[in-house]
Amino acid sequence: MRIVDQERDDVLLRQAAKGDEEAFTFLYRRHQAALYRFAVRMTGNAWAAEEIVQDVFMTLMRDPRKYDATRGTLGGFLYGIARNRVMKHLERLPREIPLEEKNEDGTGSGIVLQDTATPASWAEKRERVDRVRAAVLELPAEFREAVVLCELEEMSYEEAAQAVGCPIGTIRSRLHRGRALLMARLEILRDVPRRATMAK
Amino acid sequence: MKCEEFETIGLDAGRDASLSEAERAAVEEHVSSCGRCAALQSSWQEARMELRALAEETSSAQAPARVEMRLRQELRTQHSAWKSRHIAVAAAWTLAAAAVLIGAVSWVKWRDSQHLAKASHSSAAVADNPSSHGGVSNSNAAAGGFSVDEDSVTLVAGNESGNYTLLPGVQPGDIEDSEILRVRMQRSALGAFGLPVNEDLANEWIQVDLVVGDDGSPQAVRLLQE
Repeated sequence: MRIVDQERDDVLLRQAAKGDEEAFTFLYRRHQAALYRFAVRMTGNAWAAEEIVQDVFMTLMRDPRKYDATRGTLGGFLYGIARNRVMKHLERLPREIPLEEKNEDGTGSGIVLQDTATPASWAEKRERVDRVRAAVLELPAEFREAVVLCELEEMSYEEAAQAVGCPIGTIRSRLHRGRALLMARLEILRDVPRRATMAK
Repeated sequence: MKCEEFETIGLDAGRDASLSEAERAAVEEHVSSCGRCAALQSSWQEARMELRALAEETSSAQAPARVEMRLRQELRTQHSAWKSRHIAVAAAWTLAAAAVLIGAVSWVKWRDSQHLAKASHSSAAVADNPSSHGGVSNSNAAAGGFSVDEDSVTLVAGNESGNYTLLPGVQPGDIEDSEILRVRMQRSALGAFGLPVNEDLANEWIQVDLVVGDDGSPQAVRLLQE
């Protein structure tokens, strides 16, 4: 049986629960990227994100009846599990920030920039991205989550509130505090290279 | 609008759908008149550019292919385990059902054989009865035929006419849809049905199966072995 792209999540899940590998693979491919992105942006760690995504789908596979289609989308349900795992990970390793993410073969970052700029501008951009990543990862988990959802995932306040399960006012307030911390942190990080250059 | 308020809602007024038009206008007005908040907004725009760069860098991030492979392997393992577990459970239930069926069939057969043996025994007893008890007495006819101990009355299913002695005046076809009552009565009561009774044994209690018609009148009788 061939599965069409538009097949609904709950239908695919029912088939997957009966052992239909194709249906499960479809579901996985449909949702994994968003979950992985969220996990990697929250943890700053590709290995942890990989483990979290795997854990989320293992949970779904072992007990698909936990998902109730009347209570929301499968994406939202999976996001809820991922969020839980991310928070647990952050609780366990509150200050862990990886220096470099490696590919499976150990060759540099797992994320490739689609950029044809000169080495100098690439290095500058790279430095800027590293700086902002470090600043985001230093935010407390709740503020970080609001920043990741609204600024990186580009969710509306309403969508973010629904995903986190809190009122819009809470998201707004967390964003406000997260932004203030982020800007302060970025100012500090921008000043470090400036001071280093001046010292030379 | 005050600076604190601007900091809370002003930096992202364009995206916050919950803000009213009046609030948006107040934000615009404030930022054009307050240098500090204008600088703050500019600083946030710069930070936002950097956030966009980070978002772009990770926008195509995907879980490595090995995760999908592991999950598919797990699904296969889990499903084959589930299948064999279900096959084992189904087999166990089938065996149990077969055992119960065999038991039930054996019991029914045993019961039927017991019933047949009993029936043939008692029909022999009824056939012997008239010759062994020659005398006839009507002493109990006035009492309405026979006395029945209520505790001993049992409704017995089935309408077998083969082992019964038809009462005088009853045709074999009349007992087709009759009920059978098992009763205890004195032998003298048989006289009320027009059957011969031995006077010496008239007061003896016997157990009989009575075939009773729709109108409640007895139509055939069978003596049971004590």
